[in-house]
Amino acid sequence: MDIVIQIVVTGTTLGAMYALAAVGLSLIFGTLGMFNMAHGLFMTIGAYAAYAAAGQLGLPLVAAVVAAMAAGAAMGVATHLAMVRFMLRSKAFETNVIVATAGLAILLQDFVLKLFGGYPYPQPVRVEGVVRLFDVAVARQSLVIVAVALVLIGAVAWLLLKTRFGMAIRATAINREAAQLMGVRTNSVYLQVMALAGALAGVAGVMISSLSTLSPSMGGDPLLKAFVICVVAGLGNAWGAGVAAFALGLLEAAIQYYVGVRFGFPVMLLLVIAILIWRPQGLFGTEKVVRL
Amino acid sequence: MNDTTRTAPTSRRDFLRLAGATTGSPALLAGLNRTAAAQGGEPVIIGCPAPLTGIVAADGIEFRRGLEMAVEEINGMGGILGRPVEAVFVDTESKGDDAVIQAAQRLIDRDGASALITGYNLETGTALHDVAADAGIIAMHANTVVVHDELVKSDPDRFWGTFQYDPPETFYGVGLLDFVKGLEERGEFTRPNNKLAIVTGPGVYSINIANALNEKAAEYGFEVSLFETVNVPISEWGPTLAKLRADPPALIAVTHFYAQDQAQFMNQFMNEPTNSLVYMQYGASLAAFREIAGQNSEGVLYATVIGALQDEIGKAFAEAYKARFGENASPNGGGQTYMAMHAYAVAAALAGGPGAPYEEDQNRLVADRLRHLIYRGPVGTMRIVPETQSAYCYPSQTKDPSLGMPHIFSQIQDAAADGVLVAPPPYNVESFRLPSWMQG
Repeated sequence: MDIVIQIVVTGTTLGAMYALAAVGLSLIFGTLGMFNMAHGLFMTIGAYAAYAAAGQLGLPLVAAVVAAMAAGAAMGVATHLAMVRFMLRSKAFETNVIVATAGLAILLQDFVLKLFGGYPYPQPVRVEGVVRLFDVAVARQSLVIVAVALVLIGAVAWLLLKTRFGMAIRATAINREAAQLMGVRTNSVYLQVMALAGALAGVAGVMISSLSTLSPSMGGDPLLKAFVICVVAGLGNAWGAGVAAFALGLLEAAIQYYVGVRFGFPVMLLLVIAILIWRPQGLFGTEKVVRL
Repeated sequence: MNDTTRTAPTSRRDFLRLAGATTGSPALLAGLNRTAAAQGGEPVIIGCPAPLTGIVAADGIEFRRGLEMAVEEINGMGGILGRPVEAVFVDTESKGDDAVIQAAQRLIDRDGASALITGYNLETGTALHDVAADAGIIAMHANTVVVHDELVKSDPDRFWGTFQYDPPETFYGVGLLDFVKGLEERGEFTRPNNKLAIVTGPGVYSINIANALNEKAAEYGFEVSLFETVNVPISEWGPTLAKLRADPPALIAVTHFYAQDQAQFMNQFMNEPTNSLVYMQYGASLAAFREIAGQNSEGVLYATVIGALQDEIGKAFAEAYKARFGENASPNGGGQTYMAMHAYAVAAALAGGPGAPYEEDQNRLVADRLRHLIYRGPVGTMRIVPETQSAYCYPSQTKDPSLGMPHIFSQIQDAAADGVLVAPPPYNVESFRLPSWMQG
């Protein structure tokens, strides 16, 4: 029983971290049709912003998380205003933007490196201590990560499904021209989505670095996992990405325990291949008809 | 990316102010500089391809610091036969062979490096060999891999210039088992059972150490209850810890060596520790480990075949190093390139000066001097095994501590300070303490 609880705790924590990273990425893809290669750096910048706020300025933890969200949102807005909006109507937007954001990621990583150096630091924004769940010691920080992930996924789902802003996002995602004809200011929607995704990335960075370590390259691994999850869920399906993240986290933890730690990620990748063969649109994606 | 940095030569006055007592060799080099005719003012370029960013940046930064400090001291003594030394760094970004080869080639072709001196890179352990051989220059690294030995032995005429200035990793396995046996013989530790858990990373270095442990465990009465290979980087240790808690071993050996991953292991292990000794390969020797793990680091054992000693020379170096780079700087990492740079300077001076790239005849003379040099630095004695061009290991290869680089075991007894050296004699300064989590 203890083992099962341990696996569930590990899997849920992993899933929560993956979900935090994946939801913002999926939101951007769903709205703009853009795979943001700089999303990992948005997380990194959010994590360092929290580190600077709590560790260097001595602000309370909540203020540090707000600083991370603000930094992530600012990165999203700046990326849109300085780069993405000029590319949106280009012919090969989906390909070009991957290259452009990959370049931006390199630039931002260098910026973080110059500002903070390459030395790994502990994230001060974390909750210490353990609680006992049946007979298993669970770190409070793991519970915080899961709670934050659930709240943020819930908030994004509510925003998308229950608000006018969400309706505008969904309308823009389905058909930009039709949305414009209905009076939706699509450029504003794009900007707001980039800000929202950036803020989500900022929080994700804080949570991920609280269990790993701050370093300029810390966003690379979560970005890869987030991409895998978005593909499994169906690119652009934000709440589906959240569900897939928790499912894959639990699966990975179980494989790591029963088969071996090194097989966790390879099995995830095999699953992606199988899903793409079975459902090319992903588990929660919908098929699209394209007229030639 | 602008990833190249240079150190400016410093004055003799700066040297006298900063250092002096860290090794005995400065006097030798200064003497050579005084007696030899000066060779002119062209700087000697030392290229350092090091992981200054990425997953092992904590080490790479120390490699840069150690080299910078040595260069300052050497220049303070008049350089190498009157020529100032200039270090040029290229970031290998914690990447593999391709990044290291490119960086090394750039240092030779663009900067004109007479020698490449670095700590380790995340490469196969053979990336520098061909680059150095083709350019006819010296390369000194501390990759700590047996594959270096095999390559040099396979073609000594081609790889005459590449030196591994520490022993290969294969000595770690048996060294740990001997260390535990010593604790038991002295009554400092009684194993609760005969189980040994080995947790390794995917790299050749970590796997070779894990395999060496696995092969020898039975001879020391251990049964390997877990042999786990983890992906890296790894921050969530839950499944591995669940296995350890389900079948607690007497000894946990983590041969995956990234400081931050090891620190997270300890943070999560201490939530519910098992009655096990915890040994961590190398990474725990870095200040970053203690900084991230905090109090959870106390009690951890670690070992390195190249680490700063806590004797007169080692302490003087550590004090000067921390005064120069701050309290959180790690003399263990910096001591490596520091010693290599000093050893190279002495060898080059003895050989009549360094050769430029493609001046193979002169560089062969430098290599010959290095091969026969017995050099005592803050990390112990560097004496090169002629066939493999790696350093001798004490006590596994030689029983004379003055003729081999010590495989040192340390324990973190205070999270706010460097670990204390608990073995081997005569370098040990403190006794082993049973970790708090094993005291009931």
